[in-house]
Amino acid sequence: MSTLSYPHDDPAVRPELLPGKRDFRGITRQVSGIVEAKTPTGWKLAIAFTLSVLMILFGSLFRLVTKGTGVWGLNTTVGWAWDITGFVFWVGIGHAGTLISAILFLFRQKWRTSINRAAEAMTIFAVMSAAIYPVFHVGRVWFAYWLFPVPNQMQVWPNFKSPLFWDVCAVSTYATVSLLFWFVGLVPDLATLRDRADTKTKQIVYGILALGWRGSHRHWLNYEKAYQIFAGLSTPLVLSVHTIVSFDFAVSVVPGWHTTIFPPYFVAGAVFSGFAMVVTLMVMARRFLGLGNLITIHHLENMNKIILATGSIVGYAYGIEFFTAWYSGNPYEKFVFLNRAFGPYSWAYWTMVSCNVIFPQLFWFKKVRTSVPLMFVISILVNIGMWFERFVIVVTSLHRDYLPSSWTYFKPSLFDISTFIGTFGLFFTMLLLFVRYLPMVAIGEVKSILPAADPHAAHDHTEARHES
Amino acid sequence: MKRAPYSHAPETSGKTHWRSLGELHGSEAFAGAAAREFPEGASDAVSGFGRRRFISLMGASLALGGLVGCRRPEETIVPYTRAPEEVIPGRPLYFATALPMLGTSVGLIVESHEGRPTKIEGNPRHPESLGATSAFLQASVLDLYDPDRSDSPQQGSEKRTWDEAAALLRKIGEDAKSKKGKGLVILTEAHRSPTLAGLLGDLRAALPEARVVRYEPLGRDEALEGSRVASGRALETVIDVARARVIISLDADLLVAEGSPLKQARGFAAGRDIEGLGAAGMSRLYAVESAFSITGAAADHRLRLASRLVPRLAFALARELSKLGIELGDLAAAVAATPALDARAERMVKAMAADLAARRGEGLVVAGRGQPAAVHAVVQAINHALGNAGKTVRYVAAFDDSASASGPAKVVELAAAMRSGEVDTLVILGGNPAYDAPADGHFADALGKVKQSIHLATHVDDTSARATWHLNRAHSLESWGDVRSEDGTASIVQPLIAPIFGGRTDCEVVEMLLGRGRKAYELVRATWQTGARALDFDKGFRRALHDGLWADSALPAEDVSPRFADIAKATRALPAPAEGIEVTFNSDPHVLDGRFANNGWLQELPCPMHKLTWGNAAAISPAMAREHGLSDGDVVKLAASGAEIHVPVLIAPGQAEGSIALTLGHGRTHVGRVGKGVGVDVNPLRASTAFNIVTGVVLTKTGEHTQLARTQEHFAMEGRNLAREGTAEEFTKEPGFAKEAPEHPPLLSLWKERSYEGQAWGLNIDLNTCIGCNACVTACQAENNIPIVGAEGVEGTREMHWLRIDRYFTGEEADEPASIAQPTMCSHCENAPCEQVCPVGATTHSPEGLNDMAYNRCIGTRYCANNCPFKVRRFNFLDYTSGITEIGKMQINPDVTVRSRGVMEKCTFCVQRINHAKIDAKKDGQGHVKDGAIVTACQQACPTQAIRFGDLNDVGSKVAKRLQSPRMYRLLEELNIKPRVSYLARIKNPNPALEGA
Repeated sequence: MSTLSYPHDDPAVRPELLPGKRDFRGITRQVSGIVEAKTPTGWKLAIAFTLSVLMILFGSLFRLVTKGTGVWGLNTTVGWAWDITGFVFWVGIGHAGTLISAILFLFRQKWRTSINRAAEAMTIFAVMSAAIYPVFHVGRVWFAYWLFPVPNQMQVWPNFKSPLFWDVCAVSTYATVSLLFWFVGLVPDLATLRDRADTKTKQIVYGILALGWRGSHRHWLNYEKAYQIFAGLSTPLVLSVHTIVSFDFAVSVVPGWHTTIFPPYFVAGAVFSGFAMVVTLMVMARRFLGLGNLITIHHLENMNKIILATGSIVGYAYGIEFFTAWYSGNPYEKFVFLNRAFGPYSWAYWTMVSCNVIFPQLFWFKKVRTSVPLMFVISILVNIGMWFERFVIVVTSLHRDYLPSSWTYFKPSLFDISTFIGTFGLFFTMLLLFVRYLPMVAIGEVKSILPAADPHAAHDHTEARHES
Repeated sequence: MKRAPYSHAPETSGKTHWRSLGELHGSEAFAGAAAREFPEGASDAVSGFGRRRFISLMGASLALGGLVGCRRPEETIVPYTRAPEEVIPGRPLYFATALPMLGTSVGLIVESHEGRPTKIEGNPRHPESLGATSAFLQASVLDLYDPDRSDSPQQGSEKRTWDEAAALLRKIGEDAKSKKGKGLVILTEAHRSPTLAGLLGDLRAALPEARVVRYEPLGRDEALEGSRVASGRALETVIDVARARVIISLDADLLVAEGSPLKQARGFAAGRDIEGLGAAGMSRLYAVESAFSITGAAADHRLRLASRLVPRLAFALARELSKLGIELGDLAAAVAATPALDARAERMVKAMAADLAARRGEGLVVAGRGQPAAVHAVVQAINHALGNAGKTVRYVAAFDDSASASGPAKVVELAAAMRSGEVDTLVILGGNPAYDAPADGHFADALGKVKQSIHLATHVDDTSARATWHLNRAHSLESWGDVRSEDGTASIVQPLIAPIFGGRTDCEVVEMLLGRGRKAYELVRATWQTGARALDFDKGFRRALHDGLWADSALPAEDVSPRFADIAKATRALPAPAEGIEVTFNSDPHVLDGRFANNGWLQELPCPMHKLTWGNAAAISPAMAREHGLSDGDVVKLAASGAEIHVPVLIAPGQAEGSIALTLGHGRTHVGRVGKGVGVDVNPLRASTAFNIVTGVVLTKTGEHTQLARTQEHFAMEGRNLAREGTAEEFTKEPGFAKEAPEHPPLLSLWKERSYEGQAWGLNIDLNTCIGCNACVTACQAENNIPIVGAEGVEGTREMHWLRIDRYFTGEEADEPASIAQPTMCSHCENAPCEQVCPVGATTHSPEGLNDMAYNRCIGTRYCANNCPFKVRRFNFLDYTSGITEIGKMQINPDVTVRSRGVMEKCTFCVQRINHAKIDAKKDGQGHVKDGAIVTACQQACPTQAIRFGDLNDVGSKVAKRLQSPRMYRLLEELNIKPRVSYLARIKNPNPALEGA
């Protein structure tokens, strides 16, 4: 590895988080500018496209609700397939946001400030996309609210033994906390937008959302405390949500699902896929929103390192599953894993292995993990691989379980595919609205890592150019 | 109220109970009205019934007929001002009747809810039923409510009234008199109705030149011909499998499709009772067959042999027996020169002969319907020579022996006569000859040449569509009639409901031809009001109706001594089997001969061996598939004697080399909405000269492919010990061999385990007697309002059967598989995995150990189904029930909820029957339901009584006793689920002499 091209590669020297000369005002202007600028044509085209895809979702769900779950390719043997695959996929993606905002915050990983806002937004939108599935995959959608412990005159409660009920609690808690955490973080920046608003409407809307933020010390003090508390609340959630999602499988008796390794394996996988999605999105943000100076190659590289680490954990999990299947002596378990690798769905299994285990290993090379095009491709491959991982777990375990007489092969229907594509419509529409109307980089937080914000660093106030 | 009032029944309808229906027929008010059948305007109902229309028709005809007990309107809640006798809403009534089919009949008990027959059960008093039913019988109640049935006579496509039809028939009878009936032909199905036979006798007397032809596509003409050769008389062979210890089936599916299968299956089960009989007393079944049948699967030894080679094997068996000193007279010489079969077959023949010779009087050889007469004759000779006659086999006079022409050749003759103009008027009573007559007769074309052709049928089918007149026929459940079963036992067919579509019976049509006007009820009474029965007839008749049979009506056994010389001659006359590929024509497990083509339950019933639904396929051996590069669903062209058909293939393990098995009855052109476009018509290949087996068939791959809708795609057990079996020898050595379960950790539960203090319901299935015949599957469907999902649904693995029969192929040699069936339903696990995962608690445990489904709590997450290790839970993926027609709804069992889309369902152990029994027990002041008071639908239908249900806590109960059997095991016990369904392992009784074969 040439040290010439990477002058700051000395581990002893912490690289500057935001290289180059930057001031507070510049950052405010740059980030607010995205929101305040005239709507770019590119954005209009993009949202037209994502809205079209969103319409596919609405159409598919309409068909699903009016006609029945049978419009999907599910069958008696494979009761879950693309629905729960999609659910776990999206929930997994949501993980990066909370991890970045909460865990990295508690670990004082300051590089997170450039990406945390977008990652958190991504979390919320991913959880929204995920929530489509548990609600709509049930046979009688109109009674889906029975999943919640709604007090009723008949004293009928959900089954507290059911992992699906735990799942409802875990995901809704996660969604609520993530949303609040994100919103709390947004308040100072919303105030900035309110103050910079050039129309009455903006002033009112941002004004309401800013909750009367004035930037006083008391405000900042409360804000920091609240932020810290939320970080503390979110941290266990990062682990708990996917642990509980994995319980949907691990608590069952289905060979291939009934595994104690699932909680850590699922969490690692979720972080893995979440970071891959953040990389995909950040690369696009750099490209289309000119945020290259805020979201530096260094940020991307850090994320790629996490991808490499979690990818390796996932790869290890794949391997150990085979070992356990063999070592347990359980014939059903053994069969399931052989069937995964060599059965009718082996194509899915090997797609998963190559995308999740082989390609991310390229990030060992600094050249690869700092190459934007390469990381873009790998991050997408990782997400493809992670979708396949869930598909492999859900479908290949179900399609051949205990009694061979019930073995079957699952084929997705058009509506399986359109619903899943549709969820991308929802995700990207929300994301586009987010980048258009909300500050997609945490202005206040990024400022805090500038040399100007460091009271011990040598700087002058003119350099900081405080605004308002 | 828009409905026609029904309460204005005239005084003449004073009797309000359905039993008095016939008496009412005698009333003048009825006679006048009946001629018109429906009031003005009612009989011209155009296609399809609206609900109101239907109700009003029902109301109107009720008012006319005074049939207050039969079809009452359902929608208005009005209390009876005069309650019909014995009818208590919510409590079904049961009536005995019989269902004629394929020239025999089975006695039935039919459940009727407020005048609607909803469920068919076997009549335990009837010797052909013994309380059991077949899948066909179970499903025939659905045919009664088939909305596609025709609702009036038709001339061409014009609707006519029965008045007009009756006038026409009378005129035909009148006109025929001048020519003594010349030019008049009556074509009937195989039947055993004494009344119809009497009427046809009257017709022959009145019109001596009129001809009566009998045709049944799955008839027993060859068997009758065989007995004619062997004994000089047409005799029916009645076999008693229970008494046989060595049973040899020559291409005969005697457990489901030959003779009197329910009785035979029960007899077979009796001979398999290893615990009662011991290894030495257990029967041994050898099956020689081309297509893998249920009998072959139940056999201890099965030999794959092309059907055309079976005669040779039968002769070789005679040869071996004669070598062992069995006296076969002239036949011995004739069979001495039988060419040798391959080593495997010869070895089997020697073993069979030795076994038979060693157990004289306890052996039984049976030849299949499709085998030539010479084989039946030889079999009769062998049974006689072994002293089996009078013990395991009995001969009774064939029904209506004097009746004229019968069989495929006669139909071809008839068709020729029709073409040449010799037939002026053809009256076809039932059947569907335009579809199923032998191809060389070109019957359908010939039918067009006949000036006047009249077809009596329930539907406007292939024949009716070509006939000049269609007459709508009454279903057996809505008509009076009589019938003898195979052994001669006579039953009265009595209606459960007035003809829904105003149909008439065969007898009534012949009566009209004779220029008379008696109704079926009077005709039947007249038939039986003779001889000793005429004394105190009403009482006797009521008893016959109540019991479902005339006591002591079985025919006496005939004394038979085979004429060896004639048999020898027949064997010599039989041409040598042709080389090349053969095709055999078999009864279809779904539609029989096509009569059930519009029956959704049967179309969706997986065929017992290959689990094919919705259609037919050509069963070919794996070797033939390899040779021609074929895989399941590939369409091939089968050509023989100038005709060809295109049919998908199904690779059938156990199919004989060089033999292709086809099933009849599919691909009908004029059929209702259910059967439309289903399957392939194979009749073009079936000529009268090669009626059962056609040789020299050319198979060509077409390159097309169709999807076969099968409910099971994987037939290997994958080394898992699921359907367990052993040999009698193994069982003697180690009776508990079946208990061996995979190694597992200590079985501990997360939850506090329940204890069951009161009654604990459990079910046991004896795999030793289960033959996998599907009767239970259809019984379950009928009892529990289980919807059908169509071919697409089955292709998508969404069939709804609560009870399925898993079929596994076993054995070391891939080409010589054995097979075992395993009925699987909800196991009502005590530690039910489904219950723990349901997020809304829609499936919970009852204190008696039932795994209950609360349909209205279920939101349909399908988690329970995923977590069910047996995969017995069924999900309503789409709306399968709201499309049921108004008339179809009459079949619905009111005790069972009809499920909506989006909910999960599964076997309930017939909880409605449990609760009925519990209520009755409580009323009677008993704390506990007595053993035997609850019979599940599957248990009730089972011909072999393989299923037992009852209280596990009652040590005296039959099911609890079964649990004491060393053969008892539970599936997947290692999961600690504690299933309430247990099995008894199957015990095979192979011949030690054939070890390694």
